[in-house]
Amino acid sequence: MPFKKTPQKFAAAMKTVELGTGDKKIVLGGESVLPFYSFDAPIENAPKVGVEIVDTLLEGAPAQMKEFYAGCETMADMAKKAATIEGVDFITLRFESADPNGADTSVEECVANAKAVSEAVDLPLVIMGCKNNEKDAQIFDKCSEALAGKNILVLAAKEENYKAVGAAAGLAYNQKVGAESSVDINLAKQLNVLMTQLGVNADSIVMNPGSATAGYGFEYVISTLDRIRLAALGQNDTTLQMPIITPVASETWNVKESMASEADMPEWGDVETRGIDMEVATATAVLAAGSHGVIVRHPQSVTTLSKLIHALI
Amino acid sequence: MAKVTFQFENGTPVEAAAVSGENLLELARNYNIAIDAPCSGNGSCGKCRVKLLSGELDSQKTLHISQEEYDGGWRLACISKVVGDVTVMVPDIASAYKNRMKVADLSSGEEVAIFDRTVEDLKQAGIDFTNDFSLLTVPMDPPTLDDTMPDNERLIWALKRETGEEEIVLTFQVLQNLAQVLRDSDFRVKCVLTREGSTLKVMNVLPADQDVKVTGLAIDIGTTTVSGILVDLLTGEILAKASAGNGQIRYGADVINRIIESARPGGRKRLQKAIIEETLNPMIGEMCKSSKIPVSWIYRLCIASNTTMNHLLLGVYSDPVRMEPYIPSFFYSHAVKASDLGLFAAADAKIIIAPNIGSYVGGDITAGTLSSCIWNKEEFSLFIDLGTNGELVFGNSDFLMSCACSAGPAFEGGDISCGMRATDGAIEACTIDKETMEPTFRIVGDEGQKPVGLCGSGIIDVISELFRCGIINAKGIFVREGERIRHNVHGMGSYVLAYQKDAASVKDIEITEVDIDNFIRAKGAIFSAINIMVSSLDFDVSMIDHIYVAGGIGSGINMKNAVMIGMFPDVELEKFHYIGNSSLSGAYTILLSNQAEEKVHEIGTGMTYMELSTNPQYMDEFVAACFLPHTNAGLFPTVQAELEG
Repeated sequence: MPFKKTPQKFAAAMKTVELGTGDKKIVLGGESVLPFYSFDAPIENAPKVGVEIVDTLLEGAPAQMKEFYAGCETMADMAKKAATIEGVDFITLRFESADPNGADTSVEECVANAKAVSEAVDLPLVIMGCKNNEKDAQIFDKCSEALAGKNILVLAAKEENYKAVGAAAGLAYNQKVGAESSVDINLAKQLNVLMTQLGVNADSIVMNPGSATAGYGFEYVISTLDRIRLAALGQNDTTLQMPIITPVASETWNVKESMASEADMPEWGDVETRGIDMEVATATAVLAAGSHGVIVRHPQSVTTLSKLIHALI
Repeated sequence: MAKVTFQFENGTPVEAAAVSGENLLELARNYNIAIDAPCSGNGSCGKCRVKLLSGELDSQKTLHISQEEYDGGWRLACISKVVGDVTVMVPDIASAYKNRMKVADLSSGEEVAIFDRTVEDLKQAGIDFTNDFSLLTVPMDPPTLDDTMPDNERLIWALKRETGEEEIVLTFQVLQNLAQVLRDSDFRVKCVLTREGSTLKVMNVLPADQDVKVTGLAIDIGTTTVSGILVDLLTGEILAKASAGNGQIRYGADVINRIIESARPGGRKRLQKAIIEETLNPMIGEMCKSSKIPVSWIYRLCIASNTTMNHLLLGVYSDPVRMEPYIPSFFYSHAVKASDLGLFAAADAKIIIAPNIGSYVGGDITAGTLSSCIWNKEEFSLFIDLGTNGELVFGNSDFLMSCACSAGPAFEGGDISCGMRATDGAIEACTIDKETMEPTFRIVGDEGQKPVGLCGSGIIDVISELFRCGIINAKGIFVREGERIRHNVHGMGSYVLAYQKDAASVKDIEITEVDIDNFIRAKGAIFSAINIMVSSLDFDVSMIDHIYVAGGIGSGINMKNAVMIGMFPDVELEKFHYIGNSSLSGAYTILLSNQAEEKVHEIGTGMTYMELSTNPQYMDEFVAACFLPHTNAGLFPTVQAELEG
């Protein structure tokens, strides 16, 4: 009996969100098939890979990465260098040192850095904060203002600060707003509803429904992504059709597999290779489960993931 | 030794002797002083406020007490330690649960109508309203020197002659009083008779010319509130009705805290004493007094209560009820008499316990199911009992399925900073003007009663109105600004329902985001349980024909508002029926009818119990339901339409 191919057809599609401007702008989402099911229907916008630049620069960075960024003294220097990585689609700036419980870098300084980066490179920009809700809201507000017209994504508004973040980034400066929830499909949906009720355009929202490192409660992440995509496509749930972005680096570089030195764990092999492997493995899994964009730190990870994506689509 | 003086707004002060370092709440309990402590004294509810009048207490400031209040002398009793002589004032709101036992006025007929309707419904369903009690006048020949038969045999002979029965026994109490009664009445007596198998049992003997009533008691023991009715067993007439707070409440607001307390040394005795001596007996006494009937004329009792309450009433070790695999000691018991418990009633009066069907679905639900008659309908009905635990029964004449979910005490005012039970001063209904955000209330109590707090039905109204007016968002967070909306130092929003000058409480009555969040969880628990139970049978909520809502959370629930906040499914409002305290009306029918008693056992054994706590889907459904009205707005089309229109 001849093989008859029956494509799995959905009557719904993920929304599309554009980031950045000009030639280098990217589009997330838009497909009406499950991740990488390009044999069912074409996927016009392949998942995107972003590189993360932290405001502590190369503090604690592994050797090859230091080598790659050698000579960089500012975030803008690093961004310029990062833009040359093969396969990079966007740049993410993470203001980790802004945490009031840490170095408490001022909002002005963060904005100045962001502005310098946006002048140095033409790739789309994603701005991440320091996980302090109030400080993040200020950073997102001021960065959105300073980078007006650049079509950036702030990552992300949470239930605790969605009003401030949504109003500033989404409503006042017309940027794109991330909606971050903690690995629960219902909470993800609730935040999307709240943001749209606030007046943020549903086409300006990108979801971050939470992440983890592979092996660290990761099945919840996968199941959540899976169910979001099935609800969005299968049930045409318009409150869950926003494209998904997953910051991977901020999770994977903090686990023991990426940190334990070779001296402590000789049988595990080279520490930098492990760090890259954890990052790539985690990013691959979230892409396969439904993410439209991943954020990684190591230049080699960016290139590897980009090759993987383009080999499949 | 320190001297602690408790003062009250109205009432005589109580002096207590304490050792230094003693906990103030424990001390108050030992002296039987009622301080409301729904969280059982772990500092989480903030209800046990007292005010320092003189002296000092070792007590921290907590989130529940503002700096201003702390400076004004307000302390939480549960985290206060005695350090020396001290005088504290126990405010009225904290002691409100004592709730001034209320004997209902039956003259208007309103109170009775619901019971009459239940009897009618059951009769329609084919239940025969007859029982084993009868009253018989028996004349005897007085003894002479030639006729020296003892009194008891004389009576039994006479009864055999009048009734044709073979086996007749007298209770011990009858025997004790017999000589006196026979001689006082010239050997013409009225006998109260009942039947035990083939034996005719004489429960009481009274002079024939006396006006005699044969009565029984139906009692509903709730975790929070206890209510009862005194009933004429021969006519079905309700002679008196009363309600009171459950005296066990000072040992914890919910069943788990009570069980934990009961497992402590002497705990079972303490809890039994609290329900029997402090709650039931005074209530029975009041009812008998108001209807001028001696307590010894109560010959039969029916008690409907949740599984924990009937375990604690009987003084049964109940710790296994709260621990996996959740096994109660009994489902029903036929062996309990009033004298076993020391209840005010004839010593031989039999106590019928409405059967339990699981650890968290008890006799209150089987009795309620009986009275709702859903077991006799072909249409599909959902029965919801809103209490500290929410219980659900779904089914029709072919099957019945039940489950329980922990809603917490929010429906009865617990876990809510301005919450209270539905007694005088409780706001039971509310509307809010969308433009001005000014509220309008209906308050329990006499004309001119000032508000004290919110009861369950009031909370539903307030949250629904705040949501409808766009004052709070779907997460229960304040999103509008106005004179009545405040934010505290932690940024927590609140809405002032009544300023202190217009209220009868010690501070402004306000509902906070934390209160709203607690209530959203309670309603989420109910709704997700409904959704899971119905969908586990492959049903859809639209297939439910009737929804019966029971429970004493106020004089009635505004069903439209309950749907608005996503507590009940969005079905036509005509399908909702509020049936009040169905547990009590069920107990009433069991008391009056042998067939109803059989039926309730049949319901108990035929009902399937579904354990939600082990259902993997439950958490997901619960989180989805913790949103106004629901994360999946498609489940609430009419609410959607109202908000948009």
